[in-house]
Amino acid sequence: MTERPILVVGGGPAGMEAARGIAEVGYKVVLIEQRDVLGGTPELANYAALTPDFRDAGEAMAEMAAAIQNHPDVDIRTATTVTNASGQAGAFEVTVEKDSGEEKLDIGAVVLATGFQHFDPGRETQQYGYYEYDDVLTLVDLEKMLKAGEVVRPSNGEPPERLCFIQCVGSRDRQIGNEYCSKVCCGVAAKESIEVRKLLPDCKVFIFYIDMRMYGYWENEIYWPSQEEYKVNYVKGIATDIRQKDGRLLVRGEDTTMGRPMEVPMDMVILSVGMEPSAGTQKMAALFGLKMNKYKFIETIGGALNTVATSVDGVFACGASTGPADLEDSISSASAAAMKAIATVRKTALAAG
Amino acid sequence: MIPHSALLNKAKDRKYEPDPAQAPTEDYHDIVDQLEKEGEWEVHRVPEPYVEVTNKFGRKKKIPIQQTWHHKSCGQCGHIPGYSTSVFWLNRKLGLDYNDPTNQTSCTAWNYYASATSNAAAQGAVAMRNFAAAKETGYFPIIHCATSFGHYKETRQQLIHIPELRRDVRDVLAKLGRKLVVPEEIVHYSEWVHAVRDKIAEHQVVDMSGITATIHPACHYHKLVKEDAIHSPDVYGGQRSSIITSTLMALGIDVRDYSTWNDCCGFGFRHILVSRDFSRSFAVQRKIEVMKEEADPDVLITHDTGCVTTLDQSQFAAKAHNRNVGLPVMSDSQLAALAMGAHPYKVLQLHWHSTDVKPLLEKLGIDHEKAWAEFEEACKRLESGAAQYLTWEDCDD
Repeated sequence: MTERPILVVGGGPAGMEAARGIAEVGYKVVLIEQRDVLGGTPELANYAALTPDFRDAGEAMAEMAAAIQNHPDVDIRTATTVTNASGQAGAFEVTVEKDSGEEKLDIGAVVLATGFQHFDPGRETQQYGYYEYDDVLTLVDLEKMLKAGEVVRPSNGEPPERLCFIQCVGSRDRQIGNEYCSKVCCGVAAKESIEVRKLLPDCKVFIFYIDMRMYGYWENEIYWPSQEEYKVNYVKGIATDIRQKDGRLLVRGEDTTMGRPMEVPMDMVILSVGMEPSAGTQKMAALFGLKMNKYKFIETIGGALNTVATSVDGVFACGASTGPADLEDSISSASAAAMKAIATVRKTALAAG
Repeated sequence: MIPHSALLNKAKDRKYEPDPAQAPTEDYHDIVDQLEKEGEWEVHRVPEPYVEVTNKFGRKKKIPIQQTWHHKSCGQCGHIPGYSTSVFWLNRKLGLDYNDPTNQTSCTAWNYYASATSNAAAQGAVAMRNFAAAKETGYFPIIHCATSFGHYKETRQQLIHIPELRRDVRDVLAKLGRKLVVPEEIVHYSEWVHAVRDKIAEHQVVDMSGITATIHPACHYHKLVKEDAIHSPDVYGGQRSSIITSTLMALGIDVRDYSTWNDCCGFGFRHILVSRDFSRSFAVQRKIEVMKEEADPDVLITHDTGCVTTLDQSQFAAKAHNRNVGLPVMSDSQLAALAMGAHPYKVLQLHWHSTDVKPLLEKLGIDHEKAWAEFEEACKRLESGAAQYLTWEDCDD
């Protein structure tokens, strides 16, 4: 029996890595991406540099895309969406749709790499005023400025003299139901704080945090350098609200180390927004009949020893579609999903003789 | 490369799209209705016509326009009677049917929030007793006090989720010969003012475009069960409650922001009971003086008993210490009534307020000396025994 191709949904880092891995082993892969370009969130949100190695994000995404774009075993379909799915492991029928019309694909296994979306700070439980104040921005907005090589206050176009990050916006927040840590925001904030200091040596930079969560080597790669080399000020405490005063932003909250309320004037405030399942992740989970966890990420059923199996045999999930993940984890889980998808297709073919 | 203009994207260009599915709590409407189907209680429906408002997450709430049963506020009636009088005056002038009950029970929430008294069954029984009393009249409850309002919403959450509590409360009500009735919505009077603000503006006779105002939102309105508070996309980017602000905007008033907008008025419940100096200092130094320094308003408008009294009366002692005070404080209902031509003393009863309101009245072109003479004349009739109290007809003289 001819082995059916493997469907990869999502053209971000995890999806591209899964497709590359499958093709390199010699299996056919169809990569579906709803946007008209590959690169996922790093491309969509104009990431400047990757965490923690400061590698140029555009260059890295271009390299990943190049690895599959001319590969004979990779069929890339951009501006395409998955609209229907049926069947079982080894024999799925998947309908895809693009402007030119619908097409039904016979698929052996599925890898979902549909990722996350950034938390919308309009839903915060504190009052940070992202939709009120020009100079309140998110990590994503600052990333765009860093990519352009220019960090300025949107209110007046001037570089900030005082800039702060507020951590855990949309994460570790029982009030809004996102009790989980989004894993990457601490590292990204530390990375961006270094980039701001490099770009604007006279700008004082602060990070207000609950706990700084610097996994593994990030501690030494970005956390300590940001403090020791780049003189970023870390303040343990939660900011409760932001208001405008005298042409600046007044950040108010509690300094829990000092055990007292604080009011600190800033020129720019960067909200470290966390991760939530993307609309695509939720849509694909529903379409393939997958269990989702209480946060609407795709639930994996294999515990610590199988991080990519879903509740439907033959459908695997990787990257941030299963929960907050950094780039390193996303790439690793993409390879794991690719391997298990290949195994599904191969076993089906062997069983059919 | 990213264009420079993209880096300067302004807050107004960021579009927050409310999504009811993203609200942090369940939609109580569904559960309240389900419990009615299961025979747990009766739901008192919002009478038509009503106005639908939205909260921060785009969830809808029905605000009744008339057939309203007015759950008054203890402190309001005792300290600032013109507050509730103005609410009734507005109803009358707008030709809206309402009920001013005389058999309402105090909600007990002040002591509850001061950690002083009560238990869940007692609080639930008081709330449901009042709701049952409203249902018996056929009028829909509307709550004047933000604390009662917030407290009843917390009580509703408890009753929704704790069957044993429903049973206990039902038993208490049975002894009173009353049924367990929950209103479809728990409505604050200022939400009603918000809902009829355009009607008020249509009847406006005092031009208010020349005055500036700051507002203070009551904590128990927008911080308790906060997802129930009214938000509008055109006010504070949909991020802060638009209550009061939207009403003042409809009246043509310049509403100014200040940096302690989100702070408590100073009342603080336990503080006003056992640490009143703290309340007074907080009200003056964290609210009044900040407003005056940053916004220089002609008037401060709020929507709760405790907030009006604390913000108004705390200025009295501070004046003796030469603090930067002297900002008139009144409720949105009083200002709305004033805009429609209500008498400043017979209806608004501004003589109960501690801060001098005369400069504001003068700026609005209102002859306060003439008004005071009219009020004194009316009082003379009471002193002579010719009448026991002023009537609505007296108010319109």
